[in-house]
Amino acid sequence: MLQATAIKLPTADAVAVYAAAVIDHFDRPRNAGRLQPAPDVIEGSAGRRTDGVEFHFTARVAGDVIDAVRVRTFGCPHSVAAASWLSERLVGMTRAQLQQWQWREAAQALEVPTEKRGRLLVLEDAVRALARSWG
Amino acid sequence: MTAIYLDYAATTPIDPRVAERMIECLKPSGAHGNPSSAGHDFGRAARALVEKARAEVANLIGARPETIVWTSGATESNNLALFGAARFAADRGCHIVSAKTEHKAVLDVLKQLEREGFQVTYLKPDSGGIVSLEQVREALRADTVLVSLMHVNNEIGVIQDVGAVGRLCRERGVLLHVDAAQSAGKLPIDVEAMCIDLLSLTAHKIYGPKGVGALYVRRKPTPVGLRPLIYGGGQENGIRSGTLATHQIVGMGAAFAIAAKEREADVARIEALRERLWQGIAALGAVELNGHAQLRVANVLNVAFHGVEGESLQFACRELAMSAGSACSSASEEASYVLRALGRSDQVAQSSLRFSLGKYTTADDIDRAVDIVTREVRRLRALATGDGNQAANG
Repeated sequence: MLQATAIKLPTADAVAVYAAAVIDHFDRPRNAGRLQPAPDVIEGSAGRRTDGVEFHFTARVAGDVIDAVRVRTFGCPHSVAAASWLSERLVGMTRAQLQQWQWREAAQALEVPTEKRGRLLVLEDAVRALARSWG
Repeated sequence: MTAIYLDYAATTPIDPRVAERMIECLKPSGAHGNPSSAGHDFGRAARALVEKARAEVANLIGARPETIVWTSGATESNNLALFGAARFAADRGCHIVSAKTEHKAVLDVLKQLEREGFQVTYLKPDSGGIVSLEQVREALRADTVLVSLMHVNNEIGVIQDVGAVGRLCRERGVLLHVDAAQSAGKLPIDVEAMCIDLLSLTAHKIYGPKGVGALYVRRKPTPVGLRPLIYGGGQENGIRSGTLATHQIVGMGAAFAIAAKEREADVARIEALRERLWQGIAALGAVELNGHAQLRVANVLNVAFHGVEGESLQFACRELAMSAGSACSSASEEASYVLRALGRSDQVAQSSLRFSLGKYTTADDIDRAVDIVTREVRRLRALATGDGNQAANG
């Protein structure tokens, strides 16, 4: 069972509960950065900083699977954690799997509260954009 | 590692000397009598302590003791001042002038007064957070009965020249209310020289207890008329009924007495620490001070951090106890209304942090805070841009 840590949000009375996995991925984000452009590197982005969240994935394709991923994230702790968590799972995925990946998987795994789920829709958009850039 | 407390503008720890005086009241041999019980020694002893504290509070603001009314805090003082004065003066006029950046304990009262038929002009401060005298002058109408402006803004720490506004209001026969919750004990206040008619005070921002405050109500040449909010036993000349909490009041008096003696030395030390914090943070680059650079109190530093998201910034710096915006802001996810009133975008307002120092802040606290903020801002910026995290494709 995931342990939760209560942390006070910037805005006064509301208290956010970040699941332990969120804290782990926020404090130690996996696969942060970007791959150099190359013929075997695909990329996909979604979101805008002025809207509070932005994801940019770069991935290397080897054969018909992804074999390396990097991600850049601007956003709240749930956004940072979701992108990091997802980046590990993208390795080994096929194009079809990218096209089918659903935001609810991240919401469940990271116990993302309802009011934050909009960020995961943007994450899903970034994954679809990655799939589209894959030939 | 214990969190470093940098949220003194939200509240302060109680000075041990204040706590000692309060504890004396709470002991069996202390002052348990009702200060209104003039007929016996127990009541008279408590009354004596209350009146001593009243003099201590009055002394810090250049007032006479009989002008001080005890309340439960600055929020109640603001409510009493605004509802009290507006409703009393309603037959003379129904216009009030204030500012968009006032504390919610003023703005929400004004909203309620608007529902009751008053008209309020909310002046927009300049990008430094200051409302000009000209703006106030232009806003005054024949039916203006009250102006309410805070002396120091709680979010950005900027100082309003309430003395100049006071003199203008006095000329025009308009009452001036000043919320001094963040300025008492930090800036010199002389209510008579500043022509202030009503002044809200609290104990818990200057090392006194929570739950007690005061309202200065000018008495001479003519007493300011107020409709009470709380009716009952007629204490405080009928302005604010309710048995006086001797120990709380003693605490407030003690805090104000200490502030009178130690303000200058404390402010000088805190200003130097604040400067140290700012220099350390400014070295990051792409940061901006929120609020006027010079017209500010020593203890507040509100900084916008470009290139980082606000909630992540605050969570990443969770070893620091501080605020993004005001501790009294609403629970919504909206960015600070004060910073938006200065013209900051929602995003920049949300990526801002308020650091507020106090007399127990040490140089080591500041150096650790600089290290934490610097490390985390760099980390979050790199996470967003990918700089420093480029992977070769080998």
